[in-house]
Amino acid sequence: MNKTLSLPIFAVCVCLFFTACIQDTDFDQAEDIALTPVVELDLIYFNLRASDFFDTINSNPILTVRDTTEIKFLDDSSLQESLKRAEFYFRFTNSIPRSFQVDFQFLSETNDTTYVSGTSVSEGTSTTPVITEFVENVEGDDILQLTKANKVVVSVTIPSSDENLEGILNLKSKTTYFLEY
Amino acid sequence: MRNFLTIILSLLGFIAISQNKQILYGLDDVPQSLMLNPGMKVTQKKHYGIPFLSQIHFNGGSSGVSVYDIFKDGNDNINDRITKKIFEMKNTDFFTATQQLELINFGWRAKNEIYFSGGIYQEFDFIAYFPRDMAILAWEGNRDYLNYEFDLGEISTTGDFMTVYHFGVNKQITDKLTVGARIKVYSSMFSYRSVNNAGTFVTTLGDENAENIYEHTVRNADVSVETSGYASLRELDGASQVTSEILGRAFFGGNLGVGVDLGFTYNISEALTLSASAQDVGAIFHSKDVETYRAHGDYTLNGINLVFPPLNQGESTFPYYNNLEDEIEREIPIDTLHNSYTQFRPVKINAGLSFGFGKFNSSGDCDCLNMGGGTLHKQNVGLQFYSILRPKGPQMAGTLFYHRRLTDYLSAKATYTVDSYSFSNVGLGVSADIGKFNVYIAADNLIKYSNLAKAKSVSLQLGFNIIIDEE
Repeated sequence: MNKTLSLPIFAVCVCLFFTACIQDTDFDQAEDIALTPVVELDLIYFNLRASDFFDTINSNPILTVRDTTEIKFLDDSSLQESLKRAEFYFRFTNSIPRSFQVDFQFLSETNDTTYVSGTSVSEGTSTTPVITEFVENVEGDDILQLTKANKVVVSVTIPSSDENLEGILNLKSKTTYFLEY
Repeated sequence: MRNFLTIILSLLGFIAISQNKQILYGLDDVPQSLMLNPGMKVTQKKHYGIPFLSQIHFNGGSSGVSVYDIFKDGNDNINDRITKKIFEMKNTDFFTATQQLELINFGWRAKNEIYFSGGIYQEFDFIAYFPRDMAILAWEGNRDYLNYEFDLGEISTTGDFMTVYHFGVNKQITDKLTVGARIKVYSSMFSYRSVNNAGTFVTTLGDENAENIYEHTVRNADVSVETSGYASLRELDGASQVTSEILGRAFFGGNLGVGVDLGFTYNISEALTLSASAQDVGAIFHSKDVETYRAHGDYTLNGINLVFPPLNQGESTFPYYNNLEDEIEREIPIDTLHNSYTQFRPVKINAGLSFGFGKFNSSGDCDCLNMGGGTLHKQNVGLQFYSILRPKGPQMAGTLFYHRRLTDYLSAKATYTVDSYSFSNVGLGVSADIGKFNVYIAADNLIKYSNLAKAKSVSLQLGFNIIIDEE
């Protein structure tokens, strides 16, 4: 092979390396990439005894008991942006022969109420506990309110109580977070 | 997160592949082939690499997915494509990138017929295995995966940025046998690795006696990231300070290591030649500026247990949430350790069996290129084998090649390679001598060059040398 032929061959090879291209692709699609995980996470649980609703020292009924916990992740800025929907699921198992009113009050760091929810719980019997299920679906503008909260106050109200009242009110709960990044 | 994903996906196929230089191996027209086998037959008398230009090497790849797979122009949704790929890919699929830049390379034949060579190059090497379970968890969440044990042990990645100083000797000791060795000193500028991780995460539906609806359980977790050269960078201010600090380590300022390359070439017969080499048999001893983060333990999360304590006016209840955070930190502590550690280099094995035919006599009567006494063949065909030791075991490649010396100043080598990436990798390398000036370029996956987006790997080496032949 002579020089005149091999130089062009070399040139062609070099050109080949530098003319490589990317075809039939659309990188603007990167804008459309969305992670949409659905996360299931336990929330709160409790076991309230009937005796918790009666002050034996003063012989007075306690009609409302209340407790508060922080849920700091809720007002985290990245969750605020990515949370599209939250579905709370509460399951009460009641063996106290009373119905209950249970309220959930979401508060911001400055103790402003941002979101409220609540349900009534059917009365049970000590032999056959009654299950009450409650689902609270939060989406749209309500999500903005919910994600301003970083704590929740749980209030449990009994219509009447006495020292002979027996049984347990159990709550199990979880939240399904529909996220989009 | 989305930006990060985009960057990773965009890089697929463009950067570089996993260190296999199948075209350069055995290509005796190019002095840098001596870096792949210190025991190859050296045909020149002296060589000098043009500083900073004697070898520029990129190699990048992804065994499970190409850019085209994700970003192709089509009516279907890009998220559906990603979902499909996440489930198609296995936890042994990987992404790699390697880059090397020679600063100096030189060699000469001494009077005792030993060919000495040495130099300095900089290397960046990265590999990440596809953490399939973590990807599914991030992409889909845990709702549809109750009772499924997500494997935290799939996290496996290493990255290194170093300077390598090397010096080698090469000698033809009999008519048939040429051997060589190269000693290397590594100066690691930055290094991290997260390998040998373990543990599972599972969400199970609690039974009647469970405390809450679910149990979220982390079991036998042991996840660590070892870093060297990172801790001191955190305190620096701005990119320019970081850059100057890293470059300062290039000259023996980092963590040092030693290694060796060994190789031989054996002429089984006049036509048949066997060669093999092992590169980077060695280790780096990380003792300076070392920081290891390790999380380990077991934990089951049930949510927050409210106990409704009787409170007087103004009293606050238990700090349930902080207690929960403390409990998690206690059960799965994240420790920062400063233990030295030894990192073995990824050993690379190359071997070749070559059959030559047609006598090549470059300069008429005097066969000047061929001082060794053997025959330089006009054409060679053969097989090559390549293997690199990676965290999850060796990655291997097989190559068929055809090497032809076209004229005394031009030679070319074509390769067909089967590896983890594909069964259709055709490569081509060309080396040209213009006077004493040598230029070479080698690239693989040529079939995909018309659309690089479809390539799962790309490898490219090019460089410029001055070669002085025997007179």
